[in-house]
Amino acid sequence: MTNPNAKTAALPYNRSRQAREAETMLDHITDDFDDNPPSMAYFYDLFRRAYCRGESIEREGVRVGTTCIHAPEELIYAFGATPVRLCNGSYHYDQIGADFMPAKSCSLVKATLGMLSSENAIPKTGKLDLIVNPTTCDQKKKASAMMAGMGHSVYELELPPAKESEQARVYWQRSVREFAVRLRQLTGKKLTRKNLMAAMAKTSRAQVAFRTLHNFRRKAPSLILGKDVFLVTNAYFFDDIDRWTDAVERLNAELAQREKDGFCAAQKKAPRILFTGSPPVFPNLKLPLVIEQSGGVVVADETCSANRMLYDMTSVDEWLLNNMVDSLADKYLKPCTCPIFPNNDDRIRRLLDLAKSFAVDGVVYQTFAGCQVYEMEQRSVAEALNKAGIVMLAVETDYSPDDLGQLTTRIEAFLESIKTRKRKAT
Amino acid sequence: MKRLKDAIDGVDLNRFRIWFQLAMFVLLVYGGYLAINLGNHLPMFACGFNQEGRGGICYLMPLQHQLARPWPQLFGMASLGVLTGFGIFWLWFIFLNKGWCGYVCPLGTIQDWITALRRRLGVRYARYTQDQFRHLSRVKYVLLALMILIPLGIGGGWFSRDMGTPFCLICPARMVLPLFTGDLSHLTVDFSSKTAVAMTVLGMLITGLFLTGAFVKKRFFCFFCPMSALHYLISRPALLKLRKDGDKCTRCGDCYRACDMEIKAIADDVKNADIMADDCILCLKCVAACPEPGALKATFATITIFESTEAGFIKRCQKGIGLDQPKR
Ligand code: SF4
Ligand code: SF4
Ligand code: SF4
Ligand code: SF4
Repeated sequence: MTNPNAKTAALPYNRSRQAREAETMLDHITDDFDDNPPSMAYFYDLFRRAYCRGESIEREGVRVGTTCIHAPEELIYAFGATPVRLCNGSYHYDQIGADFMPAKSCSLVKATLGMLSSENAIPKTGKLDLIVNPTTCDQKKKASAMMAGMGHSVYELELPPAKESEQARVYWQRSVREFAVRLRQLTGKKLTRKNLMAAMAKTSRAQVAFRTLHNFRRKAPSLILGKDVFLVTNAYFFDDIDRWTDAVERLNAELAQREKDGFCAAQKKAPRILFTGSPPVFPNLKLPLVIEQSGGVVVADETCSANRMLYDMTSVDEWLLNNMVDSLADKYLKPCTCPIFPNNDDRIRRLLDLAKSFAVDGVVYQTFAGCQVYEMEQRSVAEALNKAGIVMLAVETDYSPDDLGQLTTRIEAFLESIKTRKRKAT
Repeated sequence: MKRLKDAIDGVDLNRFRIWFQLAMFVLLVYGGYLAINLGNHLPMFACGFNQEGRGGICYLMPLQHQLARPWPQLFGMASLGVLTGFGIFWLWFIFLNKGWCGYVCPLGTIQDWITALRRRLGVRYARYTQDQFRHLSRVKYVLLALMILIPLGIGGGWFSRDMGTPFCLICPARMVLPLFTGDLSHLTVDFSSKTAVAMTVLGMLITGLFLTGAFVKKRFFCFFCPMSALHYLISRPALLKLRKDGDKCTRCGDCYRACDMEIKAIADDVKNADIMADDCILCLKCVAACPEPGALKATFATITIFESTEAGFIKRCQKGIGLDQPKR
């Protein structure tokens, strides 16, 4: 383990600036709030170990990195390999990644590249045997060659540019089958009905746990805060899936108890916020945190680091291998509300439905500076929401902590305006 | 009440259907032995040629007979008979709508059995492309038109009487269903005239096609069934309805995957509440496969009788996750 930077090499990881970035965020998440659910301790501890102390959470066997929710994890599990989601939220890596991308690019892509170029990448999930890079937005697409340039072996999983047509569906099903072939070469194993079924059951158990958690957030007053839920879903990126599911099930059991006891995790009148847009990834939980520090509560989200990643479930009509793989492909394409697709009525409808069924008071729309697709969709989303009588605040930000003060002011004003509106309405 | 609703919404629909279809099959194919007779205006293929066992008769047979009457008769006194016949048929029909196809029709049930056999053998099913689908969907209307026009032509003296009940001559049910009561007589070629030879040979070819088709393609024959076309034309006032709440739909396509009739609109259409397409057989598999509460539902006279729920979906569609799972 050689480190080119002598100065940081002298410092143990847990005292580096990078570890401090994570630590500050975790401290805020845990210490700024009373009554954190005791079963969240598992997740707090996981992040402390992985991000603050730089402990290895290495996985056995073949490791497949994914840069997007479109890579079917069930296939990876079926081949006995482990998926690790690479989307990174660290400002430290964002700065390193700036060397690869143009100045005005998305923090998430830069941070991911920054992490991949580092020798002792945090979280320490071990050397990657393959990176699957679905061809989504331009920045991620172009990142492929850069990752390859860093010495990684990269597989471009070809996603169709639109998703509605039958051609797109068939094209994507073919891509997914190709991916299975690549995984067979990588692992030397065969895909069978049995191992795919077991893999799908693994994921679906996790999804059921997530959906249960999601449903608890409908309750008013809230049983759990959004900052905790983002941490939970972020842990899904790199944690062992069965252990993760167990921990979420424990959390759910606790929330059920909280419900019985009539517990309130936030003030009864706290504005209920739906979070959408660019995905919050630890340690960049800045915006959700500010919302809750300012007295709001994030009750639902529509982002690819949480809801979009875990919500939609597969249905299989005939449990034969071909059909199962096609069903998986469908699940990863059809319900996806990613802004890279030309039309996005699905996203708007999803937001409206979430807003309605979670009794949402306002929507916060995060756009990472440089993410054009989210920026371009902002107007149509705002219009649709406003038409339904829901206010939306659009926030452009990145991973740097510099805009924290300004963000806080804006969020506070937004929440205040919601409260005033509510008061007037009653 | 809520408990009952949850129990129904959580039902293992596929298993329920297997047993229900079997019961209906017995009723309609063997009911005759028990002196059951539901009349001859039934809105599905309870074939009248299954003389011994039939528990009722497919309406297409009397309809073609009636329409082949000489015109003076047909447009005179007999018209009343045709109209009452149609009325009875219609009354049967509006009760279950296309549910007759998904749950009762013996020919539909046989196709499902052939599908089950294929699945057992581990053979995957074939699909049409959307283009093929669009074209094939029209065939049933052409057949329906011919089925009405040819008898009318006979009555008008343009075609030979050997063409009487033209659809029955080529209908696979005529050869397949009597087999279940040991009647092999319809598996022969009728040499009495040229027309008869042609039609019975065609009928045999179609039966062969029916059997092989149903093996590779789910509900192969139903795409072409003139009864289905007739159903759709009169389905508006039906009591059993398939309804969709587009606001709750994520367009995940889970319902489309389950649909034997490859109806894409079931997933993609978020505008129409009345979502039954012309090929639909109201099997309700889509409702069972939908994970979004209340996105799809079956209603009877506007009362919801079966609705998509998250819990029901998880129970039915997620195998081996340690919750109580339906057996295969
Ligand atoms: S042959 Fe077909 S159309 Fe004729 S009575 Fe039998 S089932 Fe009906
Ligand atoms: S469409 Fe199929 S199920 Fe319906 S009447 Fe025709 S053959 Fe029977
Ligand atoms: S399964 Fe339900 S949510 Fe999914 S597309 Fe069909 S109706 Fe919509
Ligand atoms: S749309 Fe639904 S009810 Fe109709 S055939 Fe398809 S799965 Fe069956």
